[in-house]
Amino acid sequence: MTVRKRTASINLARMRKSFALKPLAIGIAGVFLTGCGEERKEGIIYTSLQECLNDNPASAAETCRSAFQEAQDEALRTGPKFSSEYDCEYEFGPNQCRTVNTSSGSFFMPFMAGYMVSSLLSPSRYYSQPMFTSYSRHSPFRSRWVMADGYVFDGDIRNRKYRVRDSTLAKKPEVNRTIKRGGFGSSVRAKSSWGTSSRKSGWGG
Amino acid sequence: MHGEPYWDETAYYQFTLTQIEQHLEDPTAELHAMCLDAVEQVVNSEELLAKFKIPPAFWDSVHRSWQQREPSLYSRLDLIYDGASPAKLLENNADTPTSLYESGFWQWLWLEDNVNNGRLSRAADQFNSLQEKLINRFAEIRQYYQMPSDAQMHFSCCKDTDEDRGTVQYLQDCASEAHINNGFVYIEDIGIADTGVFTDLNDEPLQWCFKLYPWEFMLRESFSDALLTSPTQWVEPLWKSVLSNKALLPLLWKMFPSHPNLLPAFFADETHKISQADVKKWVYKPLFSREGANIRVVENGQTLLDTGGPYGEEGSIVQAFHQLPKFEQNYTLIGSWLVDDQPAGISIREDHSAVTEDLSRYLPHVIL
Repeated sequence: MTVRKRTASINLARMRKSFALKPLAIGIAGVFLTGCGEERKEGIIYTSLQECLNDNPASAAETCRSAFQEAQDEALRTGPKFSSEYDCEYEFGPNQCRTVNTSSGSFFMPFMAGYMVSSLLSPSRYYSQPMFTSYSRHSPFRSRWVMADGYVFDGDIRNRKYRVRDSTLAKKPEVNRTIKRGGFGSSVRAKSSWGTSSRKSGWGG
Repeated sequence: MHGEPYWDETAYYQFTLTQIEQHLEDPTAELHAMCLDAVEQVVNSEELLAKFKIPPAFWDSVHRSWQQREPSLYSRLDLIYDGASPAKLLENNADTPTSLYESGFWQWLWLEDNVNNGRLSRAADQFNSLQEKLINRFAEIRQYYQMPSDAQMHFSCCKDTDEDRGTVQYLQDCASEAHINNGFVYIEDIGIADTGVFTDLNDEPLQWCFKLYPWEFMLRESFSDALLTSPTQWVEPLWKSVLSNKALLPLLWKMFPSHPNLLPAFFADETHKISQADVKKWVYKPLFSREGANIRVVENGQTLLDTGGPYGEEGSIVQAFHQLPKFEQNYTLIGSWLVDDQPAGISIREDHSAVTEDLSRYLPHVIL
């Protein structure tokens, strides 16, 4: 025989099993590696667009506006999301949450309480991050500034200036908040009541 | 399983190399190429997409999926072959074929053990490069999508089916061999997030997902709308919904009439063509059906057999009845595997009864 028609070798240790089920994969939480010598920048928190405009030269007005807009977009993309208003208010306080409707369903998230900007006047690029705070007695975020990923700043919300690392100002990962499950698989439930098949099996051919 | 063994090691089928290469491997490659020609026609024709009962909302997506040649993993052609006359294509399981683990691993191990024990000649070979090709294919898919090293491919099948879970576990193992991190989520547990992405039970996004679940179901269930907007890359890709569709059989017969490896086939509503064909015995099959459900055998207008079942509302096709070959007391069907476009081996199922497509025992084979 010259050419074999079969697989040359198989990793038996891995493949030999009696269909043992593995546990569900556990997602790996994002870990930010913060370098020790990482530079710190001044970050300033504004609670409104007007505050930013008042606090900066007129030439920075456009930057204030885009930083505000960016923070609002980021709040929606990366901010905490809840499936019920109760859960959201438990964390952020009464009347602190809004409903967000999307094509795939609705959920609740806290209002953006402010936004942190850094390097606003720099010719290269500025940073802008949405900031949240809580009015709930139950929450560790109460009267503190907190970022979309849960990073809590020291001191209470009267503090508006912080020395922050670049990584703290970096864009946060998108948060996927599952709104609904069970949208696939209904055909199986509908058709599996029928059972003359010789094998109890699935939907492969 | 009716108390009968599914995996039967007491017997095996023996082929010559000529039979394997010229009667099975070459026709498999040719049939597959013909099927891809048919896909090219379907995705470019609204009339055919409608005949294939692809929901109109997905016509653009199916077309795009094919134009971009989104990578496929595997298929299984079911062939009727008696050892001498040309193999006939019974159907193409291109979307969710099972019995993969038995074929790629157990059958291989069976030969290895029997050769090592001296029960089979050292010269005995097997047409079975499934596992090798699956691992290579996963590596190609990883490169095609430029998956980062920390990326995860999800694998999914329905709950309460040990057989499907086994197939999927095997594919996960093959993916691991190709250095793809992988996780699992049941089809029923898949969620949709506010961001429009499908999620697993940990709210992790499904970026790449192998699904052992038919496209024809997914396109009709409540998450189908989200398929149009979610960024998930599915394996098998959406264009496989055309390839796995039984409407492919009449289209093939139309494109390649009298091809030696095809059986005459028509759409069930082409009654004049059916009556004009030189065929007495027909098998009616729903466009979407599984495991021999809703099969009706009709001879001279008389229904000889009706297996019943939940399928058929989308329409049917007819295919000329072709007797499965009988060896001793058993009827035999060949599953001929492809990994992407490459023939990759065969598996053999047999049963005492001749009802096609629901053969209960799996048997190994050798080439000598």
